[in-house]
Amino acid sequence: MSLDNLLSNWSQYRKGHEEGGFHDYEHRWGMAIDLDICTGCNACSTACYAENNLAVVGQERFEKGQAMHWLRVERYWDQSELDHPEQGASFLPMMCQQCDAATCEPVCPVAATYHTPDGLNAQVYNRCIGSRYCSNNCPFRVRYFNFYSYYESSWPEPLNMQLNPDITVRDKGVMEKCTFCVQRLKSAKDKAKMENRKLEDGDVTTACAQACPTNAIVFGDWQDENSQVAKLWNKYEVTRAVTKQKKDNPEKRGYRIFEELNVDPSIMYLERVREKV
Amino acid sequence: MSGTIDRRSFLKIMGWGGVGTALSGCDLPTTVTLEEGKEEVMSYLMPEEYVIPGVGVWYASTCTQCNAGCGAYGRVREGRVLKLEGNPESSINNGNLCLMGQAGLQGHYNPDRIQSPMMREGGKLVSVSWEKAMNAVKAKVSAAKGDQVAWFTGSLSGHQAALVANHLDALGSKNHYVHETINNSVWQSVCNDTLGEANPRLRIDKAQMVLSFGADFLGTWVSPVHFSGEYAKFRKQERRGLLVQIEPKMSLTGANADLWLPSLPGSEGLIALGIANILAKNHNKDISQFPSSVQSLINKYDAATVAQKTGIDEKRLKRIAELLDERSPSLVLAGAPVEGHANGYNAVAAVMLLNQLLGNIGSTIESAGEFPFKQMQGVTGGTGDLFNFIQAAKNKQLAVAFFHGANPKYAAPAALDYDSALGNVPFKVAIAQFLDETTAAADVVLPLASYLEDWGTHVAAYQPEQTVIGVQQPLMEKLYPETHGLGDILIDLLKAANENEYSGFADYYAYLRQAHAAMPSQAKGNGSDEQTWNTALQKGLINITPGIKQLSFSTVSFDDPAADTDDSASTLFLAPSARLGLWDGRHANLPWLQEAPDQISKLVWDSWAEIHPSTAAKLGIKAGSIVSVKSEHGAVKVKAILLKSIHPNVIAIPMGQGHETYGRYAEGRGVNPLKILNPTKEEKTGELAMYATRVSVTNTNQSEVVVKMGSSDTQAGRRLVVTMPVEQYQRSEGA
Repeated sequence: MSLDNLLSNWSQYRKGHEEGGFHDYEHRWGMAIDLDICTGCNACSTACYAENNLAVVGQERFEKGQAMHWLRVERYWDQSELDHPEQGASFLPMMCQQCDAATCEPVCPVAATYHTPDGLNAQVYNRCIGSRYCSNNCPFRVRYFNFYSYYESSWPEPLNMQLNPDITVRDKGVMEKCTFCVQRLKSAKDKAKMENRKLEDGDVTTACAQACPTNAIVFGDWQDENSQVAKLWNKYEVTRAVTKQKKDNPEKRGYRIFEELNVDPSIMYLERVREKV
Repeated sequence: MSGTIDRRSFLKIMGWGGVGTALSGCDLPTTVTLEEGKEEVMSYLMPEEYVIPGVGVWYASTCTQCNAGCGAYGRVREGRVLKLEGNPESSINNGNLCLMGQAGLQGHYNPDRIQSPMMREGGKLVSVSWEKAMNAVKAKVSAAKGDQVAWFTGSLSGHQAALVANHLDALGSKNHYVHETINNSVWQSVCNDTLGEANPRLRIDKAQMVLSFGADFLGTWVSPVHFSGEYAKFRKQERRGLLVQIEPKMSLTGANADLWLPSLPGSEGLIALGIANILAKNHNKDISQFPSSVQSLINKYDAATVAQKTGIDEKRLKRIAELLDERSPSLVLAGAPVEGHANGYNAVAAVMLLNQLLGNIGSTIESAGEFPFKQMQGVTGGTGDLFNFIQAAKNKQLAVAFFHGANPKYAAPAALDYDSALGNVPFKVAIAQFLDETTAAADVVLPLASYLEDWGTHVAAYQPEQTVIGVQQPLMEKLYPETHGLGDILIDLLKAANENEYSGFADYYAYLRQAHAAMPSQAKGNGSDEQTWNTALQKGLINITPGIKQLSFSTVSFDDPAADTDDSASTLFLAPSARLGLWDGRHANLPWLQEAPDQISKLVWDSWAEIHPSTAAKLGIKAGSIVSVKSEHGAVKVKAILLKSIHPNVIAIPMGQGHETYGRYAEGRGVNPLKILNPTKEEKTGELAMYATRVSVTNTNQSEVVVKMGSSDTQAGRRLVVTMPVEQYQRSEGA
């Protein structure tokens, strides 16, 4: 997408999902994360570091909130009234929710963050000027800013040999975030095209979903009704373009975080379950 | 190969010793010559044929970041390995890989790797040539009496274990010390004594309820990725599996429990007996099958007594017993906090008794079957050999010690006086990738290739239905030409010790290639030797169907696992807790794992002491206070954090940090709680009683910032993680 195209069709790109979104999507990547079998082990997060050239910032910068963990696993304690958390901890893998009505997009003064025909909320690194408005506007706090040129310290030789050549190493002054492993999507699409076929469910998955020891994370094309992710959304009666889910069976699990803000996230979470003993 | 070797010793050389009658029809190799073997070394290590610029290719190998033996795929592009993933062909990890497995890349590309051999000259380690280093080693070995040579390693299996054993055999030594700080030795010992096998299969996926006394099977116990997969099935059964975890400090498994209860370290055996008592009294479970001493123990510990001694509510105990009776089959497990006492064996035996009482033996605890290749099964470590090694050193029985895959200098409690014992071992050889504490104290350092540059075979102690022989192959050329694989070093040493049998092998690859050729054809499958070898490399494993065995249960009689419940002394129990990540300290030099927040506390890059807020209030300690934690054998100063996920009489300091030397990411960071442990032994197994140390805690009136992920510990009313009661879940998607 060129900047010209973006500017001349600005109103189209700003069209809300109530009005049908901005155009026909090729794919709409989405996820389902089952919090009942997520154990909070951190495998997803580390896989993300490996796949996406995430910088290790060290303790001092971590303290300042400058960690670059695109996918972080939050841990909450829910039973603060008790002497002990008898039902354990609440773990939440939190990454960019690839909102269909992303609040980060309209505030970017240079259109560095925009929506792709895949339904992704993309970040154009070499267009980004580092205003950080997007991060400020993100209710999930999943955008990470390069306050430093991390490549100077994060990958002393030969650690740099591990860097994934399919994506960049970002420089100082640039915002970055989870891309749903866009490089994996791109190669899978290219491969399917070379083989003259359509992309099928299971052709591609993200690094986090791949690593997960309990397979709590399911990734796929939400628009492909045969995909596992679409089936899960249907099973749990969760849909897009609403601020409150209307379920035939309201007892079913499945919700989107902060959907009441009308950001229309692409990740469905399934409730954690606990049995009271 | 000379023609004088008989078939039996040939099998032993090749690591297939112990083959049962069922697999006797093995051929001596006729198809592979050594010359062919040598050529193949070249073809697999020369990347040119495989490189297509811009295209990543996945190769199969085996992860060695812990001893679970997960199958790994490595993505190789332009001759570099870039990403590791689980091997879907492996029934151990079914395509998934934990954070330590992911971070294996950072050990391989670590900037602090040892790049050339070193020898101690004038008190300092200086770089020397391989020839000089190996000549010195060989000279010292041949000058020593056979039984003065020792190997000190971590758990080893496959052909590496076979070769270490053969090396010691050739020298006439039995000194193989196997050390793992994170182990389940006491559990294995109890299983062995009651069920006849040390590592029975645990069917978490089939259990309706799991009661785990400190067995962190999702984090640090035995085979975490395998058990995580089983756990997902356990939760997704028609009736969602129920998990109850009882332990001194919340583990990752505890954090996922439906009910988590804090226990006083060492009281778990009593709780198990109390539950047995209730099962007998209220639920008609038959205890007459047990020896009378055990029966009287069960009768002694009725619910009221146990409640009074352990602080766990009587109603709770009764409810747990009731649920265990109702949700059959169940599974009862015991981990490090139960094992880690002078009477740990008794406590674990009490836990195992519950499995028999509940009818779990044969249903959720199955026989692992008979693996035909005993030599390959290898050796699993515990902490007992740390005592044995130090004793042998003190007695001046050792002249040469080889160290590999273990860091006893770091792991030994200060009270064992490891350093002065080691002074009695005149020649120490470390085969290592990094200059850790043990390596830095060696006389010769042989630089090790990383596991992504080396050959190997691995047979994990715990196996799923199919026994997996994990095949490890180099995923790229060596980063440093001066590093050698363990197998190559072993072949070199064996050539010196037993020239007749090993001189024919150019290197470890040639040996492994021949070993494969010699593998009984029933085991390696159909096809020519060439085909089965290529299949093994492509798949990264060879599946062996183990011989069928039935478990039988025989109760061991055990003594009272009475706990040290004395809380009159104003001291706390020290829990040296294990982290999935830094593990026993071996991964402290991997920056991804340092920066990955601890799953429970969410701290990064640091050591800390977890204290219950009520205890902290009594001691005047706040979050970030630097406290002095003092045992009879030393003290550490560490920052306190306040968490309710711990028993009020316990202070937990995670293992892994406090390295004096281990590269830039690990050095001088945090403290090592192992140093201040009492050198108490578990009486029956000789293991180190890791949870039996009492400490006094004082505030130093200094404080430091606690660096952790997330600013809020609660959801503050937001719908982030929504919890649904199980009743609603069963209505909406159960059966």
